[in-house]
Amino acid sequence: MPPVENPDGGTAVLTVSDVAVRFGGVSALSDASLSVGSGTVTGLIGPNGAGKTTLFNVISGLQTPDHGTVYLFDTDVTSMKPHRRARLGLARTFQRLEVFGTLSASENVQVGLESGVKWWDWHRLGRLLPNRRAAARSASTGDLLAGDPIASAASTDAVCERLLEGVGLEGLGGEQSAAMSTGLARMVELARALAIGPKLLLLDEPGSGLDEAESTALGDLLAKLAAGGMAVLLVEHDMELVMRICDHIYVLDFGDIIASGTPEEIRKNPAVQAAYLGEATVPEEVVATQHGEPDADPSEPAAEPDGGSGR
Amino acid sequence: MSNFLQYTIFGIMLGAGYAIAATGLVVTYTTSGVFNFAQGAVGMIAAFCYWELVSAHHVPVLLALVIILVIGAAVAGALVERVLMRRLHGASAERPVMVTLGLMVILTGAATLIWNPTTERSVDNMVSGQFRLVGINIQYQEVLIIGVALAVAFALRALFYSTRTGYALRAVVDDPELVAMSGVSPNRMSQYGWILGFMMAALAGVLLAPTQTTGIQIPAMTLLVVSGYAAAIVGRLKNISVTFAAAIGIGLAENYVINYVLPHLPENLVPDVTYALPMVFLFIALVTLPSVRLRAVGRLTTMRAPRVAGGKESLIAGGVFLALAVVAAIVFNNTDVKGTTLLTLGGMVMTLGIVGLSLVLLTGYSGQVSLCQFSFMGIGAFIMGKVAGGGSVLGLLAATAICAGVGALIALPTVRLRDLYLALATFAFADAVATGFFNDGHVFGVGGVTIGRILLPGLSLSGDRAEFLMVTVFFVLAAWMVLAIRRSLFGRRLVALNDSPAAYATVGLNIGFTKVAVFAIAAAMAGLAGALYGTVQGVVGTTDFDFFPGIIFVLFVTIWSIRTVSGAFLAAVSYVALNQIWPNGVGLFAGVGIILIGRAASGVLGIEPFQFPLPWVRRPTSPAVGPAGDLVAPSALIGGETSAAS
Amino acid sequence: MTDLAQVPAGGPAGDTHQLPPSVAIKGVRAAYGRIEVLHGVDLVVPPGSVFALLGPNGAGKSTLLKVVSGRMRSTGGEVLIGDRPVGKTPTEKLVKSGLCAIPEGRGIFPNLTVRENLRIWTYRGGLTVKDVEDKTFDTFPRLKERRRQMAGTLSGGEQQMLAISRALVTEPQVLLLDELSMGLAPLIVAELYELVGTLASQGMTVLLVEQFVTTALAVATRAAIMVHGRIQQEGSPKAMADAAKQLYLA
Repeated sequence: MPPVENPDGGTAVLTVSDVAVRFGGVSALSDASLSVGSGTVTGLIGPNGAGKTTLFNVISGLQTPDHGTVYLFDTDVTSMKPHRRARLGLARTFQRLEVFGTLSASENVQVGLESGVKWWDWHRLGRLLPNRRAAARSASTGDLLAGDPIASAASTDAVCERLLEGVGLEGLGGEQSAAMSTGLARMVELARALAIGPKLLLLDEPGSGLDEAESTALGDLLAKLAAGGMAVLLVEHDMELVMRICDHIYVLDFGDIIASGTPEEIRKNPAVQAAYLGEATVPEEVVATQHGEPDADPSEPAAEPDGGSGR
Repeated sequence: MSNFLQYTIFGIMLGAGYAIAATGLVVTYTTSGVFNFAQGAVGMIAAFCYWELVSAHHVPVLLALVIILVIGAAVAGALVERVLMRRLHGASAERPVMVTLGLMVILTGAATLIWNPTTERSVDNMVSGQFRLVGINIQYQEVLIIGVALAVAFALRALFYSTRTGYALRAVVDDPELVAMSGVSPNRMSQYGWILGFMMAALAGVLLAPTQTTGIQIPAMTLLVVSGYAAAIVGRLKNISVTFAAAIGIGLAENYVINYVLPHLPENLVPDVTYALPMVFLFIALVTLPSVRLRAVGRLTTMRAPRVAGGKESLIAGGVFLALAVVAAIVFNNTDVKGTTLLTLGGMVMTLGIVGLSLVLLTGYSGQVSLCQFSFMGIGAFIMGKVAGGGSVLGLLAATAICAGVGALIALPTVRLRDLYLALATFAFADAVATGFFNDGHVFGVGGVTIGRILLPGLSLSGDRAEFLMVTVFFVLAAWMVLAIRRSLFGRRLVALNDSPAAYATVGLNIGFTKVAVFAIAAAMAGLAGALYGTVQGVVGTTDFDFFPGIIFVLFVTIWSIRTVSGAFLAAVSYVALNQIWPNGVGLFAGVGIILIGRAASGVLGIEPFQFPLPWVRRPTSPAVGPAGDLVAPSALIGGETSAAS
Repeated sequence: MTDLAQVPAGGPAGDTHQLPPSVAIKGVRAAYGRIEVLHGVDLVVPPGSVFALLGPNGAGKSTLLKVVSGRMRSTGGEVLIGDRPVGKTPTEKLVKSGLCAIPEGRGIFPNLTVRENLRIWTYRGGLTVKDVEDKTFDTFPRLKERRRQMAGTLSGGEQQMLAISRALVTEPQVLLLDELSMGLAPLIVAELYELVGTLASQGMTVLLVEQFVTTALAVATRAAIMVHGRIQQEGSPKAMADAAKQLYLA
């Protein structure tokens, strides 16, 4: 399936079409489709267990879908290995932390920064050795975050320091990441993801474990990244954050996209309210009209094939 | 035709024996998540106990079986679970491998002390006599083994699929916590698993003992069930029926190869191929396994990472070490210990130290387990002896390069699998190389291979002192290199891969490539160490690079600390020293040591009183816990120019 | 073969005349490795009440349930069920004396058939296979049709029915429910909570963690909101409903 046009008109960085995943008898995703445009923050919300993390795993290559396709730009990556997708410019964070616990915060970021370097590539290695080449040119952090950090002339240390600063970890680079609080470790993951110079950034609940001020600052950072041209797909339970920074929001409920639209449309949507607060009475016509997918069958209130009618 | 039937019957019998041992492995693995490397050793002990009771003391067979199986094996299994394994819950993945290996060397070590290996002990068939059927002779013993194996298989099936305990045993592997929430103790279920596993190991040992035509031998009996490992892997360590069928198939294949293929091979290759067969089967089994799915598990490393010495610091330390070695070389020149000069022993310590360093790189940093570093050492020494008449620098280079290649070949089929399978592959490889390759008359043979001292133009290394100092320089360089690797981008990658494979892949790094690369580097280091070891010893033979010493050495490194350079050095010192003092007890020391260390991942050196802080080293401050650091405002991001310059 | 089922249950399970025990959580702290997630939680679940614990993801609700059910050791404070401290009691002992915990996700064994799963429930003293099957199949006839099927091949809703049947047949005195609704269609969630209501009315103390505020508060008699490893506020379901709405849909 060719990539479809992004609803917001920008170039579609990511196009997910009709992805379905089953675990045994449980349907985790059924025909989920979405698209993320460059320079936008796209929200993916929905109750726990709706399939958000599974969808992230499908996009990043940790889970092969039963059917459906995933496109990164014009490339079909559906069966591509995770590390190859990352090299195409896809970075992610994890809901349950996946920091390199033995390494310090700055080493975590360094692994990301150097991910494009072959370890036998002595020429580039030499440039990366600390102090070998001072930060001769101080490119703005914005550039560093958006482009290929290795390509810039600054030393790894300087870039690393800047990325850590960017996520609010200045001075904490030397700490072992396993010993950091959840909130801080999430920021280490974010800095590591940014370090690979992604064009598409998947964030799985980056705001959990952050306090209000931190969450505000995170929102500002994401907005800034998007303004620099990055595509951000955000799974988040902090509605304030989602509503504030997202350009477009998809709502996932039991494995299906039940609604999509601008924050304003989503906020007003009674189906979303119901999905979130768990009211059983979902007016079917609302589901139908708000459905992003023309080919989805609105007459089926429950996405699970045989779990719908109780007994 | 009648020959074929005869071979078939014998093959099925052999397979039935493997099947009992292999299903035991599977039962233990599914209920406790631990692959019991001591399975063969348990069977070996049972076989020797059976010989002791029945052949030496004429205890009735049935009584002997009751004593061995019901009392001995069951109690031992229960104790091992309770005392050794239960403490390991939540420890790093390599730890159960090490502890069961420790159990294996304790059992073999103890057996060596109890039953003098030079005595021949043959075990009679439990039931004598034979009958003729369709033109072939079938021994009652063969019928007995096949019958017992079938009975065991059906009994297990009945247990697992129609009793409540069986359901709980099957459930515990998926979700021990939920088993507890159902009101069953998951620990007790694991304990049942170990009891069953031990009983089946003992049964296999007792049944297969009479097939050993030259009498039961400790190493041979211990490694007899390696073929069973392959069967267990075909059954993916969980399916008992498949495991059983695979074991029978392997028994048949083994017997057909021995009877139909071997006679056509040159005579000197026959034992080699025979010994290599289990490994071949294991590798075939590994290739059939599906790739493991990469999962985000949210693992937390709570272990405090050992501090990595900085570049300057490690150079100073290396210099001090070399200076001390020079002093030692002057003071201890011509000092003998039991007929070996102290400097030769020192040279052995240095070369083994390099092997230890290869394990620090491989296991300590990247978390993969290799049990065949001694095999690479032996291959290195062999190449050294064969290239340019031994003693050439070319030999060192060839040993390093060829071992790197062989290492990559071993690692290749296992990189897409869980780390346990690399341990298994290296276990089988170590066994096959030691018994098949090194024993071959053309390799080390009876007399061993003579290796001269390194020849360098204008520099004599023929004296003991020069030799000792040369290998010391190599050790210091290797230590410096390992630390430099750890500080480099490759080192960060190794540690990162061990901490979180899922994150490793999603930052764009290739897991398989990294695993093969580090394994090849470690193999190359061991190969170089072997070549140097040869120049120290002058003559090397099979016993230098045998299977059990290799395992014991890995255990010593783990005991001291597989994550630090000093751990590697101390392991080499203690290994060489103990081998001088009490050669038969080295295995016991290693086994007891690893059990005492238990789950402490940083070994003895990681225990607080042993962490001597160096006065000039700034200790890392504990992380600031409390209010999380403020996220900077975007303005700070834009104003990045100033911060970069400072 | 040892038969654990012969050991009689500790308490008078199913005895409705006697009030079930309360659950008292006093200053409980808990940590994963070096990272503390519960910073001193105080909470009393009165006997026979249905207590809903709400709050954002990562607040520590599931961790608290793990501590109460003995699956995780607290690093400080104590938990009392009735007047007995949980302390270091292993989960299976707590279960035998009348606790039932349905964990997050699916509390079933996917590689066992439905009947085999039910058979394992009989470890909780004094139950026969027939009791367990009859009671489960009466309430959930769908499971009867699928009794020979591997539990992992059931739909999400059926799996959760199977999971909660453990609470149904073992008649515990204290029931801990963790995100019963996870990934399920609203109709099934409603059905499951109806059952929770029924169970509660038979006299058991229920502590439940739930993301769907409305659903949870419909059955709850008391509720609290947990944020960042601490109880932020506690009160009647009505009061908590407004507070929780604020929290979720700002």
